Amino acid sequence: MSTPATIVTNRSAAPALGPERPVAWPKRTLRTLSNGLQVVLAESHGFPKIAAQLFFRSGNAVVAHRAPGLAEMTAKVVRTRTASRPSRRIEEDLRRMGADLGTHAGADSSAISIAGLAEFSSGLLDLVADLARNASLPAEEFERERRQKVEELRIERTTPGFLANERLRRVLFGEHPYAIVAPTEEQVAAYRPEHLAAFYRQHYVPADALLLVVGDFSSEAMLQQIEKVFGSWKAPRPEALKSPAPPGNTGRRVHLVHLPGAVQTQVLVGNLAITRSDPDWFRLALANSIYGGAFHSRLVINIREQKGYTYSPRSGAHPLREYGYFSVHAAVRNEVAAATLTEIFYEMDRMRALPVTAEELDSARSYLSGVFSLGVATLDGIVGQLSTVYLERLPENYVETYRERIRALTAEDVLAAARRHFDSANAQIVLVGDREQIADQAALFGEVTEYDAQGGRK
Amino acid sequence: MENTETKVARLHIPVEHTTLANGLRVVVSPDRTAPFVTVGVYYQIGFRLEPRGRSGFAHLFEHMMFQGSENAGKMEHIRLINSSGGLLNGTTNYDITNYFEAVPSNALERVLWLEADRMRALKVDDENLRNQRDVVKEEVRVNVLNQPYGGFPWLDLPPIAFRNWPNAHNFYGDFTDLDAATLDDVGTFFRTYYAPNNAVLLILGDFETSEAFALAKRYFEDIPPHPLPPRADVAEPQQKEERRGEVEEKFGPLPAIAIGYTVPPRGTDDWYAAAILERVLHGGRAGRVYHRLVLDKQIAVEAEGSADIFDTNGPTQIVTRIFHKPEFSSDEAIAAFDEIIREVQEQGIPEDELDPVKVKFRADYYSMLEGGMGSYMPRFGLMHYLACFTLFDGDPHRVNTILEGFLAVTPKQVQAAARKYLVPQNRAIVVRRPVAMGAAR
Repeated sequence: MSTPATIVTNRSAAPALGPERPVAWPKRTLRTLSNGLQVVLAESHGFPKIAAQLFFRSGNAVVAHRAPGLAEMTAKVVRTRTASRPSRRIEEDLRRMGADLGTHAGADSSAISIAGLAEFSSGLLDLVADLARNASLPAEEFERERRQKVEELRIERTTPGFLANERLRRVLFGEHPYAIVAPTEEQVAAYRPEHLAAFYRQHYVPADALLLVVGDFSSEAMLQQIEKVFGSWKAPRPEALKSPAPPGNTGRRVHLVHLPGAVQTQVLVGNLAITRSDPDWFRLALANSIYGGAFHSRLVINIREQKGYTYSPRSGAHPLREYGYFSVHAAVRNEVAAATLTEIFYEMDRMRALPVTAEELDSARSYLSGVFSLGVATLDGIVGQLSTVYLERLPENYVETYRERIRALTAEDVLAAARRHFDSANAQIVLVGDREQIADQAALFGEVTEYDAQGGRK
Repeated sequence: MENTETKVARLHIPVEHTTLANGLRVVVSPDRTAPFVTVGVYYQIGFRLEPRGRSGFAHLFEHMMFQGSENAGKMEHIRLINSSGGLLNGTTNYDITNYFEAVPSNALERVLWLEADRMRALKVDDENLRNQRDVVKEEVRVNVLNQPYGGFPWLDLPPIAFRNWPNAHNFYGDFTDLDAATLDDVGTFFRTYYAPNNAVLLILGDFETSEAFALAKRYFEDIPPHPLPPRADVAEPQQKEERRGEVEEKFGPLPAIAIGYTVPPRGTDDWYAAAILERVLHGGRAGRVYHRLVLDKQIAVEAEGSADIFDTNGPTQIVTRIFHKPEFSSDEAIAAFDEIIREVQEQGIPEDELDPVKVKFRADYYSMLEGGMGSYMPRFGLMHYLACFTLFDGDPHRVNTILEGFLAVTPKQVQAAARKYLVPQNRAIVVRRPVAMGAAR
C-alpha cells in the first residue's frame, strides 16, 4: 500500500478538524423613525438580491376570541390592491422587479415579506410601503380569498400533521389564543369586509413595527429611501390584549383523532415549556438536540435506525411570544403506535434520569453552534436569524454570542433542562389515525378522548 | 458617467474543474465570505435506470449509502457530520443521486474522507437492508399513502405520459419490489453505478482552490474506476395521441388535475424557448394560468406549474397542477386551460409581457444558486446546477453562460414553441378524483 512520496493518508481514521475560523455576522444599522418604526439593515453583497420584511406585532392571537384567523385573512387580501395599484398591477410589478411577495400572519405577528433583484431596491421598498399604508382590501378579492380559505381548510382536515398539531395546541393552551391554529368554516364565513379594514387600520401601524432589510445595498442610501417612504406614516399604537393563562395539564392523557382509512399513525406528544427569553432556553435547545432534535439524536437512532418504525421523527422546542411548548412527532405504521410511545417516553425519562455522556454533549454543542452559524451563509438564513432577534427583542449580540453560550453548557445543564421541560409524566399524547387500528394501543397510555377530523368530540 | 443600463448586475461564479486519473470529475467554486463549505457527490444514476422488478431500488439504495462504509460504520457518517457542526442529506432524482454536506470549513477534509470511504467500499448487511426497507416504507406512507394528494403529480403522470419503463414506472417503489430487494442487489448496484468515473465531486465555499484539488486527489484518486454499462435507452416512442388517466384521491376533497407536456431535448433552441414559455404560463400570480383560472374565472383555488428543466437528462414534462372547485367539472377546468394555450399559440406573447418574465427568470436563477434548499444548505443550488452541467453537458462553466440562452428567447420563439409542443399529441392529463365526491364531476 504505497502512497505518493510525502503524504501518507491514513484511510482508516477520520481526519481531525482543522482550526476553526470565526463567523462574522453582518453589522447591523439600527434606526428608529420618529413614528416608532424600528429599522434594521444588514448588508450582504454576495448575490445581487435584497430581502425586506416588515413585521407588525399583532397576529391571529389578538383576534382569536372574536374572529380566529382574521389576521391571516387580512394579510391575504392586503396584497391584492392598493389605492394606486389595481390588482393585476401588483403582480406585474413584482415580476418586473424579479420579486416574490408574501403576506402572512402567525399567532403573534403579521408580515409583509419581499425578495427581489437589488437593482430594483427602491421599487421593492415602495411596494412594501404601499401595501402597508394604502391597501384597499377590495370586497371581491376578499370573497375570492375567503372561498379559497374554506377549500384549504377542508384539505387541512384530511392532513394528519395538521390534525395532530391542531389537537395538541387545543389541549396545551385551553382558553389561551394559542389554542387555535385555524378557524372553522363558519368562522371564515362570519368575516366581514369591515373586520378586515378595522384590523388593518388598528394593527398595520408603524409604532412597534419592525422593518428588516438584508442584501446587496448601501445602508446609507437604503435609510434615506426608508425615511422617504415610511417617514410620514403616522398611526396610534394598538391596545395590548390580556389573555387567559393556559391550563396546567396533570397526568398523561390520550387524544385520539379518528381519520378513517389512515394507513399510518401520526404520533405527537407535547407539554408546555418556555419562550426564547427564558434563561433556560439554551439548555432546552441543547437537551432537545440530544433527545430528538438532530439526525444524530437518541430518538432518531432508536426508532428509525434501530427499529425502523418511522422515517423522520423529530422533537422540537416551539417558542411563541408569551408561552412555548416542547413536542415530539413521528409518523409510524399502525402496528407500532404503542411501541413508539414507549420509546418516546423511555428516551425522555433517560434524559431526565441520567446525565448525557461527554461525547454526546460535545457533539451536540458543536452541532447546534455550527448549524446556527450556517445561517450566516445565505440571505434567507440571515433574514431568519435577525428577524428572530429583533422581533423577539433578544439581546443585540444574540447571534454573535450564540456559539459561546451553547459551548458553555454542561451535562448538568442538560439534565436540569430535561427534568424541567421534558414533562413525561404530564405530557399529552395525540394520535391521528384509524381508530379501528389503534384504539387498543392508545388506551395503554391513559384515559382516551376521541375526536373526529372536523375537530369535534366523538 | 452612470448609465442605468450597465448597472444591471451579471453574476459571475468562479469555477474550476479537473478530472482525476480514475475519471472522477472535480468541480470547485471558492467563496471565502463565510467559513463554511458545501460538498456534494453526484452519481449519474437515478430512479429512471433502476432494474426492472426493482422499482424504488435507486432510492432504497441511497438510504443504504448512509448505513456504513469500510471505515465508518452505521451512524458514523451522520455522527461525524453533525458533531462537526454540519448537516447532510441525499436525494434520488430521475438521472442522478446526490449526497451532500454543509459544514464549517474546518471539517472539509473530514467530509471528503467520508465521501471517499463510501465511494470506495460500502459495508452493509442484511439487518441494515431490513431496517432501511422499513424506513423507506414509512417514508412512502407519510409522503404518499397517508397524505391528501400524496405523490401528486410526480408519481401519477409518468405511467400515463410515458411508455418506456424507465420513464413510466413507480419511482418510489411498489412494496412487493422493495420486499424483493436483496443484499446482492445492493452489491451489484453499487459495483455497476457507484464508480468514480460515473460521478462528480463538488466543493464549494471557504478554501483555496489548490487546497481543494489537492484534497480531492489525496482522498479519491486511488479509488479504482470500473467499466460502466452502455447508456440505457430512455427515449420515448413517438407519441401520436393525447393520453389521459385517473387516479383515486383517498383523502382530499377537491379534484386535482395535472397536465404535462413533454419538453424538447436538452440544450436545443426549443428547450430554451419552452423553459421561458413555462414561466409565461406559471410563475406565481402573474402567470397566465393562475391569473385566468384562480383570479379571473375562479374555477380553481390553486393553479401552478413547473418543469425540471436543468436537472433531468431524459424525457421530462412541463407540468401544470390545478385544484378546482367541486362545482366545476374537470372538463370545464381543462377547457379554460386550453383557452390559455390557444391564445398563446394564436396571438403569441407581447414583448412587454416577455421582458418581465425574463427578469424574474434571472432573479430565480440567482436565488437558486444562492440557496436552493432551505436557508441552511448554502449554495445547494449552485452545487446542483454545477453537477448537472458537468454530468449532462460536460461543462460546469455553463453555470455562468446558460442564462444568456434563456434571456435571448424572442416572442416569436415562444409562440413557435407553444404551437409545436403544447399540442394534444404531446401531452398527458391525469385527474385525481376524490372518492368522497362519488359521481360528482
